[in-house]
Amino acid sequence: MRRRWLVQPDHLIPVVSLVVVVVAFASAPALSGRPLQPFDVYNALQGFAQLGLLALAIGITMIAGEFDLSVVGSYAVGGMLAVSAGATSPALGVLAAVAAGAAIGAVQGGLIARLRIPSMPVTLATYIALLGLAYAMSGGLSKSYPNSDATLWVDQTLAGVFSPRSLLTLAIFVIAAVVLGGTKWGRELRAIGGDRRASRVAGVTVDGLIVWLFTVSGALAALGGALLSYSYASANPDPGLQPLILAAVAALLGGVSLAGGRGAPLGLLAGTLSVALLAQIVAVTALPDFTTQLLYAALLAVIVIVESPGLRALSDRFRARRADG
Amino acid sequence: MTAVPVRPSASVVSLALPLIALVALVGLAVTTHRFLSLDNARAILASTAFVGITAVGATLVMIAGSGVSLATSQTATVAGMFFLATQQYGLVTAVPVALVTGVALTGLQGAVIGYWHANPIVLTIAAGFAIGGTTTWFSGGTPVYPEVVAYEVLNSTPLGLPVAVYVLLGVTVLAQFTLRGTTPGRQLYLIGSNRAAARAAGLPVGRVTVIAWAFFGACIALTGVFLASFNTSATATLGGTLTLDAIAAVLVGGTAISGGRGSAVRTLAGAVLIAVISDVLLLRGFSTGIQILVKGILVLAVVVIVHLHATRSHR
Repeated sequence: MRRRWLVQPDHLIPVVSLVVVVVAFASAPALSGRPLQPFDVYNALQGFAQLGLLALAIGITMIAGEFDLSVVGSYAVGGMLAVSAGATSPALGVLAAVAAGAAIGAVQGGLIARLRIPSMPVTLATYIALLGLAYAMSGGLSKSYPNSDATLWVDQTLAGVFSPRSLLTLAIFVIAAVVLGGTKWGRELRAIGGDRRASRVAGVTVDGLIVWLFTVSGALAALGGALLSYSYASANPDPGLQPLILAAVAALLGGVSLAGGRGAPLGLLAGTLSVALLAQIVAVTALPDFTTQLLYAALLAVIVIVESPGLRALSDRFRARRADG
Repeated sequence: MTAVPVRPSASVVSLALPLIALVALVGLAVTTHRFLSLDNARAILASTAFVGITAVGATLVMIAGSGVSLATSQTATVAGMFFLATQQYGLVTAVPVALVTGVALTGLQGAVIGYWHANPIVLTIAAGFAIGGTTTWFSGGTPVYPEVVAYEVLNSTPLGLPVAVYVLLGVTVLAQFTLRGTTPGRQLYLIGSNRAAARAAGLPVGRVTVIAWAFFGACIALTGVFLASFNTSATATLGGTLTLDAIAAVLVGGTAISGGRGSAVRTLAGAVLIAVISDVLLLRGFSTGIQILVKGILVLAVVVIVHLHATRSHR
């Protein structure tokens, strides 16, 4: 039974990638010649906090068979709004960012659900528009955040390795896991990702679910952007494509498939931790920066192989033969 | 929420709206100071060329239904670097070297997608990391400067237009001919509209997919060559925002991301339209941010209209 639980790709991929990366992290001192400090773990968790909400945002849309590219746009606009509206009250800034992200997501979700239009071109367009908006809001420059109390607060060390930012991110993952694991929403999300027509026939309110999905995704991404700009004490209007790519990598390492119908928040958590730890390993061992890129490429190559239908058919046949014999 | 009430109005939306928008744009453009000048027309074409060449190549890949590449910038960068590093052997060597680089890297991805059914997005993200990482590794993270300069001719402007514009037109004609006039080209549409059926009908899905991606690779390499010539040196960021700019141009040209429909000429029109709108906004004094914002809204509008049009004609 335990074996069967593990051979499913949505369990196998996150477990294996997290174990491999944690082992590599633990053996980093062999290469760097100095023992791991709690500070290294703290840094890895900061990296996790930077990426986590974005990965969760894009990951839940991937589970439902969609692909929300606009999350980086909401991330940038969220950061910009938080810095503008939260100068005196950081909570107000976060609230403004989350509300804007949710509104952007709701509009997109409505469009995608009502017109039954593929989400990728729609969210790509929104991504471009949101980057333009963030640019216009700041005149193309970074916008600094004057409230240094908030900056110090979000990144203060707690229990040696945590910060309020990483704890909050972890908490949101746990909430997502509880909500999607304990209610029908988790099942329905996977159902509409796996076979949308069948779930419609089975009585799932697909359109409503998609609107909610994109609303939550936009809100999460904007919250991530707000927290990041508090941490950096400035908001960057153009984060580039890199955060999006890394979030997608985290989701893929978390056992989510781009075809949809597979994955869970805890897998996304493992995937995001893997990406963050990997970056920290390269930092701790003082390897050149391009090593990170090559490692991501190698991990993704494994996923390409695991996900390729040609190879999957092969392994299915092998398993069927073993079950027969 | 029901999706049904949309249908009756769909034809109005998908036909009248673009027309109104176009009339509005033309009106806005001709009343813009300095828009109707030869210099401005040249500027528009010149700014279309770099992205346009890559977008025409991306059209073939999108028609084939294998989606988009997220490794475009990195491939253009590495092709540009090879181009500059081989300047001392003359253009006769440097351009083919760049082209072979682009075709090999991108064609290989096409092979994995075509024969192995790998997910294009995952694969091209992986390829982007691999190409970007390897480029930084070998260049040591420093810019590549040419030993001697052979590329000056590529920056020249015969008959007042940059060489890149002529190349863009040539690439468009070639792509359009390949799509309409050759067997693999027509097969691309079939594969894009129904991959499983194409396979069942015995079409060489793998080979045709590789041809599309290889053509795309050659186009990316050409853009890399022009970017490198224009910048006179190549850093890891040479490709810039090429990846998404090219996708945006293809989408504005009305090619559906799900494949099976589209044309190279329409992509050219899409690229020119984006350039015209940016130009009008620029001349009217709007900031870069507003230009990008409008571009995003334009892509969104076209995507929605093309989708409404397609679902209506399918019924």
